[in-house]
Amino acid sequence: MYSGEKKSVLYVLGLYLSSTLILIIVLFASYYFHEKSQIELSEKEILRSYTLEIQKALLNLSDESNNDYKYPRFENFKSAIYDIDQNLIFSTMDVIIDNFSKEYFSDEKYSYLITPIKPYFLGTAYIIVQKQKKDIFSLSKLLFLASISIIVTVITSYFLVNLLLKPLRENIKLLDNFIKDTTHELNTPITTILANIESLDTSKCDEKSLKKLQRIKIASNSISNLYEDLAYLLLNHKTSLQNQDLNLSDLLKQRVEYFLYISSLKNLKFVLDIEKDIIFFGDKKKLERLMDNLLSNAIKYTNKSTSIHITLNSTSLSIRDEGVGMSQDELKDIFIRYKRFDKTQGGFGLGYSIIKSIADEYNIKIDITSQLNQGTKVTLSW
Amino acid sequence: MLSTLLMANEFDKNCLVCHGDDFKFSIIMQKYTLKYSSKQRIKKAIFEYLREPNLHKSILPYEYIKRFGIKEKSTLSDSELNSMIDIYYEKYNIQAKIY
Repeated sequence: MYSGEKKSVLYVLGLYLSSTLILIIVLFASYYFHEKSQIELSEKEILRSYTLEIQKALLNLSDESNNDYKYPRFENFKSAIYDIDQNLIFSTMDVIIDNFSKEYFSDEKYSYLITPIKPYFLGTAYIIVQKQKKDIFSLSKLLFLASISIIVTVITSYFLVNLLLKPLRENIKLLDNFIKDTTHELNTPITTILANIESLDTSKCDEKSLKKLQRIKIASNSISNLYEDLAYLLLNHKTSLQNQDLNLSDLLKQRVEYFLYISSLKNLKFVLDIEKDIIFFGDKKKLERLMDNLLSNAIKYTNKSTSIHITLNSTSLSIRDEGVGMSQDELKDIFIRYKRFDKTQGGFGLGYSIIKSIADEYNIKIDITSQLNQGTKVTLSW
Repeated sequence: MLSTLLMANEFDKNCLVCHGDDFKFSIIMQKYTLKYSSKQRIKKAIFEYLREPNLHKSILPYEYIKRFGIKEKSTLSDSELNSMIDIYYEKYNIQAKIY
């Protein structure tokens, strides 16, 4: 999976899953509460009718003056009567009610209704009726259904995301393969050109031809550099690392010399402040890449007839040019691969992304300061 | 045992002698129960009436008072009155009759 892809996958997945999950939870929860209140309503109605039966019976009893009063008993429910101070008067229930705060409540087996009455027939201020609870659905069954829905959602989300990304993936793969193939194809002719230029017998050439040859050599070197950059970016993880103690000072001077001819075309001067024998443990090719990119950037974007200042000490390397510079917004996006701000110069915009990738590998900190029309200074520190 | 016997006697002397038979007493208890519900409140209401009988506190309807007049204030002490009321409640309360 490509790096950018992973992020977008997570975002899409997260959004889809969370919204669907919320929907499922809301649906099931509202169904549950609705059912619960429906049950409660129907139970209350039934209990109310029972209460009315008791109340009627009590009314009839209280009209009579007997030696004793037979408490009304019914088959499908039990009841109890309490006085105004919540003392029990008489009950056919097994339980004693002490909490009169709720009108309707239920426990595992029964549901209850407390009704205050007035006048106090037989001293009754509260009638409590009790009936077997009606349970039409179970919470566990509902939870089971909800879990099934969630699992189905997760599975479909996986397929959804793959569907979404399939065309993208295919395109990227196509592009990548193309670049890989092309750069691989480039290698052979480049090597041929450079090798032949090197081995050319220059003794028999006139000055004009010699100059032309120089230009060809430099141009071929540029192409070679570009190829190296692309190869680095595409095949980096496949090449082996060969770290060794490098003399950074010598390496830097070498690279500066490599760019000397090109820089002379713009009438640029190199101002060097390089401490001797700075040792750095790293891969030679990679550090060459790093320096080449820094130098070529400086040369590309500095103005004609200016100086490029290079400083190297045991903890830092800095390159400063006096060129077009960059705005603060451009600085923020500098490390995004392929991003170009100034298309007047050649290249693919790979430079800084390569610089950053190598710097990260060796824990080198990059600091870039720039001012429009004044120049850019890049400092690497370790 | 003896005290209740004595008390019972007192009850007969102080209350039954005027209020007559059980029937009227039952009716009065019924009315108190219908209005006051619990034992404490019934007893309290009876006590307050007997202490200071007047038209407003009476449990019986106006027509009855008009016919028989307001009962005169009891000469018994508070504790004696309460004992009487206790006996009255014991004998005539409705709750005990429910089965």
